[in-house]
Amino acid sequence: MEHWVYTFQIAGHSASVNLDTIFTMWFAMFCLIVFAFIATRKLSLIPNKLQAVCEKAMGMLWGTMDTMMPPDNRKHVPLVASLFLFILFANLMGQLPLRIIHLKQGELASPTNDINLTAAMAIIVLVYYVGAGVKQKGFKFFLHNFSFVGIVNALVELLEMITRPLSLAIRLFANIFAGEILVSIVLAASAYFAPLPVMLFEILVAFIQATVFMMLTIAYVGSATSEEH
Amino acid sequence: MENLAQLGAGIAIGFGAIGAGLGIGIATKGLMDAVSRQPEVAGKAFGFFLLGAALAEACALYAFVIAFQLLGK
Repeated sequence: MEHWVYTFQIAGHSASVNLDTIFTMWFAMFCLIVFAFIATRKLSLIPNKLQAVCEKAMGMLWGTMDTMMPPDNRKHVPLVASLFLFILFANLMGQLPLRIIHLKQGELASPTNDINLTAAMAIIVLVYYVGAGVKQKGFKFFLHNFSFVGIVNALVELLEMITRPLSLAIRLFANIFAGEILVSIVLAASAYFAPLPVMLFEILVAFIQATVFMMLTIAYVGSATSEEH
Repeated sequence: MENLAQLGAGIAIGFGAIGAGLGIGIATKGLMDAVSRQPEVAGKAFGFFLLGAALAEACALYAFVIAFQLLGK
């Protein structure tokens, strides 16, 4: 489970990147871009199969947004939908047999088994929901009515700005990471047939974790932009 | 010292799993209650159950991360 760390010097400081994560991340993004490109060619009023699937997926995302957020929420769909699709593709990539390509260190698995990637996505969500709240309500987003409860609420919300991204990042990372370790342990016990149920379970976990990340993003953005906040 | 770290990792993941197991058990109980009371909401309730179970399970995985840090890998 070690990564292929590449260290370089930038302005006197040493920085390191995980090359295998970067490669698999770009691979997932490439798959997603090609899929989106193919799906949006030759749009027609009577959809073919691929267009029908994509329309169904977008309808599902819009339905989720409509049920969980106050109205005027479809402007948040780009972030939420791209997070969902990227995490889904990235998680499912872990079940592809990319590991047979040998690297110098590490292995090609799903990019979400690296906490740097999930932390980056969680920070994007933090910046987005604070930005959406400030845009909606101005500086009053950070303030509450002046009372004991209001002050405690404001402090708790400052604390939540740390704990929310932390829990988002660690939840996704730990699920995928634990799944890979589980598969490798079962694989060490028996190479044939025994890992199959575990891998099927991992596919379920991939869908659930992508949904959980999306749902929590929607809940955070919704609570930041709602009136009674 | 390394043996103590391994012991700590085992204790961490064990106590973490208690909470996650309790949480998923309570979630399943709620699902069973809802479905036996109103069988037509089974599909919708199962989606929310999976969501809640994933959130409860995450607590065990936080413990897993701590255990892995203790093992020093």
